[in-house]
Amino acid sequence: MWQLNHMSDTDREPDIAAHHEPSWRAGLKDGVPSLFGILAWGMVVGVAMVKSGLTVPQGLGMTLLAFAGSAQLASLPLIAAGAPIWVVFLTALVVNLRFVIFAALLAPQFARLPLRQRFFLGYAAGDMTVAIYLQKFPTEKPEVGKVSYLKGLLYPNWTAWQVGSITGVLLGSTVPAEWGLGFAGTLAIIGITVPMVATRPALCGVLVSGAVAVAAAGLPYKLGLLAAVLVGMLTAMAVESRQEKRAVKHV
Amino acid sequence: MSELEIWLTIIALACATAATRSSFWVIGEHVPIPTRVQGMLRYAPSCALAAIIGPDLLLDPAGAVDLGLHNYKLIAGIAAAAYYLLRKSMLETIIFGMLAFTALRLLLPAA
Repeated sequence: MWQLNHMSDTDREPDIAAHHEPSWRAGLKDGVPSLFGILAWGMVVGVAMVKSGLTVPQGLGMTLLAFAGSAQLASLPLIAAGAPIWVVFLTALVVNLRFVIFAALLAPQFARLPLRQRFFLGYAAGDMTVAIYLQKFPTEKPEVGKVSYLKGLLYPNWTAWQVGSITGVLLGSTVPAEWGLGFAGTLAIIGITVPMVATRPALCGVLVSGAVAVAAAGLPYKLGLLAAVLVGMLTAMAVESRQEKRAVKHV
Repeated sequence: MSELEIWLTIIALACATAATRSSFWVIGEHVPIPTRVQGMLRYAPSCALAAIIGPDLLLDPAGAVDLGLHNYKLIAGIAAAAYYLLRKSMLETIIFGMLAFTALRLLLPAA
């Protein structure tokens, strides 16, 4: 730890925001495999936007501004049916509710960054990037390179999504649906999820969450997704506290 | 919807993204989260990912659970998960899964 000796104030907290090249590269490396899934998924959403009747500029505007695949997909039939804007807004809000949980998890790690930077980091953090980031930095402990690692995940993820979506908007219906391109996104998620279920509580949570999502898939506003996350979390917690109790008994 | 209304809707969608994803990033300092809740939230990302892929793997286009041999996504998905456990490579898992899915789709006769 020779670096510590060079610091004038050794008990100062590590600067999480300073650019840290190894962490940035680690972020890139950990995120790159998922980009193929993101790219394919973005493309599927791009195609769906044009097929539902949006013009090319509208499709491009939607992907660049909204940057939320599941909310975009949920909004398309509403727009096509001429639903009031506030209905589309509320629908998107409900579909996005799981991101509030992600924000509550991730934001405390970055509480000292400037407001603008916090806003944009949060805006860009989707399902896969949050999961990958928390595998690397699960706690609030200030560590050098946290922001660089997150950026290494977010920038390529944003770019891959937009490239995929824009390609989809421009190609429109020429991409055959039976290729099942969206399945690449599902496969990327499998690759992220499998290493996350190394403990029994996490495994139980994931299985229950998946089952609830299937059972509640018919609910409006994608509420099944939110219900699945909530029930999955509660299950994981219940299994965890049972394990702890048992561990105490055996001591 | 008119051209203007569609653009307003698109802006509303952007606001919905900002309001949810940036929520605690912006107001977090003022809303302390109890440790017990933080402990539970740790499981949210994996649960959310499972909740996204569950329906994609198990439901047919009509929305019914399909555990049959003609559910290519389910078979390819299980094979891909097993492949990941063996090789620990996400990229290879995606390629393997897509090849498995495409092979099943082209080689197995339709139901």
